Amino acid sequence: MLEIHLYGKLRRFTDNEDPCRDSIISIPVEQGATIRKIVEQIGISHKELGSNIFLNGQYSTLTRKVKTGDRLGIFPDDMQLLYKWYFHKNGDDEHDDQG
Amino acid sequence: MSKILRVNMTARTVAFEAVPEKYKEMGGRWITSNIVCDEVSPTCHPLGPGNKIVYAAGIVTGTAAPTSGRISIGGKSPLTGTIKETNSGGMAGQKLARLGIKAIVVEGQPAEKGDYWVLKVDKDGAELLPASNSWLGKGLYETYPLLFDEFGEKVAIIGIGIAGERLMANAGICVNDPENRPSRYAGRGGMGAVMGSKGLKAIIIDDAGDPPGVPIVNKELFDTGRKKLTEALLAHDITKPGGGLNTYGTAVLVNIINEAGGFPTFNFRDGRFTGAAKISGEMIHEICTKRGGVGTTGHGCSPGCVIRCSNVYPKPDGSELVSVQEYESVWSFGANCGIDDLDITGELIRLCNDYGLDTIEAGVTIAMAIEAGLAEFGDGAKAIALMHEIGNGTPLGHILGNGAAITTNVFGVVRCPTVKGQAIPAYDPRAIKGIGITYAISTMGADHTYGYTIAPEMLGVSGKVDQFDVDKVDMARNFQHATAFIDASGYCLFIAFAILDIPSGLAGMVETCSGVLGTDWTVDNIGIIGEEIIRKERAFNTAAGFTKAHDRLPEFMKHEELPPHNVVFDVPDETLDRVHSLQN
Repeated sequence: MLEIHLYGKLRRFTDNEDPCRDSIISIPVEQGATIRKIVEQIGISHKELGSNIFLNGQYSTLTRKVKTGDRLGIFPDDMQLLYKWYFHKNGDDEHDDQG
Repeated sequence: MSKILRVNMTARTVAFEAVPEKYKEMGGRWITSNIVCDEVSPTCHPLGPGNKIVYAAGIVTGTAAPTSGRISIGGKSPLTGTIKETNSGGMAGQKLARLGIKAIVVEGQPAEKGDYWVLKVDKDGAELLPASNSWLGKGLYETYPLLFDEFGEKVAIIGIGIAGERLMANAGICVNDPENRPSRYAGRGGMGAVMGSKGLKAIIIDDAGDPPGVPIVNKELFDTGRKKLTEALLAHDITKPGGGLNTYGTAVLVNIINEAGGFPTFNFRDGRFTGAAKISGEMIHEICTKRGGVGTTGHGCSPGCVIRCSNVYPKPDGSELVSVQEYESVWSFGANCGIDDLDITGELIRLCNDYGLDTIEAGVTIAMAIEAGLAEFGDGAKAIALMHEIGNGTPLGHILGNGAAITTNVFGVVRCPTVKGQAIPAYDPRAIKGIGITYAISTMGADHTYGYTIAPEMLGVSGKVDQFDVDKVDMARNFQHATAFIDASGYCLFIAFAILDIPSGLAGMVETCSGVLGTDWTVDNIGIIGEEIIRKERAFNTAAGFTKAHDRLPEFMKHEELPPHNVVFDVPDETLDRVHSLQN
């Protein structure tokens, strides 16, 4: 299973919208699935997605592959990472400039 | 014409001087650091008669430039022993600038300790008035209203609390916000103690009447730049109305840095806090909305700000607890002390505002008291009681009021997260190594605002480096230069998010400065001026006895792994030293 932590308005895709707790969904992952695929599977629109995606705490592109046991954190477009420049975006495709 | 106000506290005289040619273009940190370098002996005692304290608005402060209300305060720091510039929003910067005063230099010292004065500045001049006993020895939530009663509701007040009166090394300097709360702080480095050592309780700035205002040499260029910068701030996701800062405040970072595994928890033992959600910007927004009453997000700390990242946090009954619950403050008293309750962090921040303390240093100091066995992690009531020790001026309170490093020395605590005696803020340098370099080599001790160690990776300037890459030297240096320039300009550092992403915004910022001064600066001048500022500050510190051996992070961070990434700070010392050697 993949553990997905959603924040801000994306909490509505979980059963908890109360910001005082973590909003988490767990889903099974297929071999080779990318973050982009997971995002689509959850139903998050491109418009609502910001650049702030963390796979196991690493700032990541949508093209990174996920596997069972990973933690994925996704923030919406109105919760941009103020200090995004601190983090190199980890990804398999350098030209993916999503966000 | 712009002038310098010199105040001698030994002779109790005030005098206006012409601005020397070499200072003509300077503002903010640029001029405070230059005057300190030119006039203060680096080996002086920070609380002795040889130190000076310099107040200066930025280059564009007092004009219609957006988000530019900063005031810089400089001198030699009693916390770090280095040169210091600490800046604040609030009401003072713009009023000081409109009076045509480029800088106030306060020097000397009254013969009698405990003798306090108030400096009143208005369009007709300046005078020193004896401070009423009723303004001394009490909290600023009591003192500020008395001062506004005396001098009028429309003045700005730069003042110190009882921590400054008691010359504590964690005393900050308070500036009132637009609703006259004692809530905005030039907090870091103990400059409140320097002000206290001068016998100066407060500076009252009254710009009523018809003050000269800030002359703008090239109005057309200024207006062009102002428009470009404003458009950038209104367009960028972080700075725009309804954007991250405006909606959630700076504490939007709580969940983000926690998710990234760099949120220091239990005195820098973990990079994630299980209670992070409860002290997050989302939670602040939720409480301000649900409790209603005075609860407000998107509050502005000074007029003309388009970002408006402040908040007014309500008690359960909707009445006011405190302004403002910021990222650094909810972290220092929250995750770092194991406290996951905004009502508790709010009370602790309110006590800092009341006593006149820096929230970062105070929170980290409470964590040191916990390490020393004086409290447990997560015990909010005990944390509040320890803060009252500072307010009550007990011997323990004097130890805590002198900051984290002093407290660890007294109690034999080794895990002390300070650099040059100043507490490390809310980004663990083991997980975010770029900021670790900033903390290590800053001329001011550990300081997250010293140079956002940012952009090059994302802008493709320095090639392939990642979050854990150790070779971030060029990046650190360039961004420290840019930060020093912003600190000179009078703009809030938060414009950086927009101007580093939107080139026309960056050009616009420079054009507003050139418009005011009549210069022909380009973006290349940012690095040139920033480098000059830092070189001056470094020279002061070198003469004060600082060497590269002081440009180091706490030893425990080199061998103690930080979960969840399980990383240590492994940037080699030689890499840290390269940052400055490349400069000279």
